[in-house]
Amino acid sequence: MKDKFRSIALLASFIFLVSSPAIAQERSAVRQGFELAPNSGKRILVFRPSISVGAQSTGGMFEPNAEWTDQARENLQVALDALQSRLGNEVIVAPEAFGEDARNLQEHMALFSAVSQAVIEYQFFVGNRLPTKKRDNREDVFDWSLGEGVADLPGAEGADYGLFIYNRDAYGSTGRKILQVLAAFGPGLAVQSGEHVGYAGLVDLRTGDLLWLNADGAMGGDPREVDGSQKRARQLLEEFPGSDIEAE
Amino acid sequence: MFRFALASIVTGLLSCASAAGALAQSAPILPPYQGVYQPVGVDEIGIWQEDDEGERRLAASPLVIRDERLTSYVKDVLCSAVGEDRCSATRVYIMREPTFNATMSPNGTMRVFSGLLLRMRSEAELAAILGHEFGHFESRHSLNIFKSQRRGTDLLAWGALLASMSPSYDVRRNYRNLEISVYGNLFRYKRDQEREADTLGIVYLNNSNLRPQAASEVWQNLMGEIEASANSRGLSRPRFNAVAFTASHPPEGERAAYLSQLASPEGASRDDGAARYQEVLSTWLPMFLDDQIKLNDFGASEYIIESLARNGWTATLWFARGELYRTRGNQRDLVNAAQFYANAIGMDANLAEAYRGLGLSLLKTNNMTDGEAALRRYLELNPDADDAMMIRLMVPTENSQ
Repeated sequence: MKDKFRSIALLASFIFLVSSPAIAQERSAVRQGFELAPNSGKRILVFRPSISVGAQSTGGMFEPNAEWTDQARENLQVALDALQSRLGNEVIVAPEAFGEDARNLQEHMALFSAVSQAVIEYQFFVGNRLPTKKRDNREDVFDWSLGEGVADLPGAEGADYGLFIYNRDAYGSTGRKILQVLAAFGPGLAVQSGEHVGYAGLVDLRTGDLLWLNADGAMGGDPREVDGSQKRARQLLEEFPGSDIEAE
Repeated sequence: MFRFALASIVTGLLSCASAAGALAQSAPILPPYQGVYQPVGVDEIGIWQEDDEGERRLAASPLVIRDERLTSYVKDVLCSAVGEDRCSATRVYIMREPTFNATMSPNGTMRVFSGLLLRMRSEAELAAILGHEFGHFESRHSLNIFKSQRRGTDLLAWGALLASMSPSYDVRRNYRNLEISVYGNLFRYKRDQEREADTLGIVYLNNSNLRPQAASEVWQNLMGEIEASANSRGLSRPRFNAVAFTASHPPEGERAAYLSQLASPEGASRDDGAARYQEVLSTWLPMFLDDQIKLNDFGASEYIIESLARNGWTATLWFARGELYRTRGNQRDLVNAAQFYANAIGMDANLAEAYRGLGLSLLKTNNMTDGEAALRRYLELNPDADDAMMIRLMVPTENSQ
């Protein structure tokens, strides 16, 4: 009795060729007036990153891969720890939450994901504009918030900012790659093989304001490898306020 | 040449899908318990890991009703259907969601919707649905669906490539036909899996201590509800044996028929646990009925209330019926609603909410004196109600004090 809508959506969307260009480039933004000076003694709380790595079938479906996801989670954690010194401020990992705290955290993770999707969809990449955000876009104002409820999140009392990280990779399967090559040489169609999407956001843990967001629809570096995940972590956090990580 | 290639691929796919979907119609027996199952292979391990993440989110979801007594009762009903060894692989979550559904995901997470609990009338009926869901789990249907969707979409990708290399009208038409047959096969494959899960569900029930005939009654009741809903909206009578192209499940009429055939006749005299079920659900009925009424489906809600009242009307049921009529809100409905609230108060003189509904209905039908008296009684019984300030505005004497 499940998956009714999922399967219909799947059939309608996946099949073929040109994937959606919505997040095909990279963009980042900082809230007006926000500056995080290096070594200012601020503490940044990192919430559990959302990471999934898998393959892309010939027809374009996402095929989850537990082994790759575990490797990526481990490698990215190591890479983020290594970057800590370059972020310019102290980084703490959010504590495991239980009961009411866990529910509150879960709601805020979902809220962050909805807000950052809205930023990416309606502000970062031209095309769609929310009527209420038209002026912000014209004047280059970056004004989004999760609300003051973030102050009650577990671990928030000992930190100044919260960092959320999302990462999803789909590596083109052999079939997809062959399809890509044949489609290019035969009818001359562009088939995209693989998808590497990620974004990271910094939230003020007192006001809930979104201070910085970096989204990239085509990330480099292979998080399944140690070297690749360092590059990936640098790209996720590039132009992080107060850091010396530059755009690559 | 391309046409030939397409045609042979289509034939290949059709035969493969129908072989996979073949249903054993012979007398079903309980498959031996395989022990605690662990996922095998890249796909299944990957799906389980995604599902584990999903369950992590589910456990912290505000939609889950966190009541230990209710949750463990539902789990016990599942265990009594499928047996202690099997059911130990599952976690049950009760979701506050007023529709008729339950789902089982690949890693053994069972979601039971409050709307299902409202509609079941006995442990045996609930066990029939939970056993069906467990059948999906035991037969690893999610994995098979994933694989069949992947096969289908892979085939369409190659088909589209071939078709675009020879842009003639015939080739394009062949590709369209291929698309339709792949989609049609995927939907039919899902329906066949539902039939398989139904079969497994009834086998569990036949081997349990509960009455297996209840499985068919669930669908008969649901057909009654769908028909009542259609009638009250002036729609034509629904057809319970027609299969739509995109239908995810077999039609209700077909399910009711084969479930009643497969139910073991020796089981007919068994207990169906109706009394125990009603006892546990009684504390939850007000909330579940309220959610149902807010779906704004008059015919279905009325059908549910009346079928619950078959064991005798209670204050809760009269109150729910009053709310249902008052929410629809025609003048004629308000007169009925006032009567239903009065019945509820007759059975439970301290039911504050019933005084509120009674007062509001009477005010709207211009019966001011009685209406204000009822609202005053509501404020006496529940002075801290959320809407106390607003109700006070409607009661002049209270206001001037």
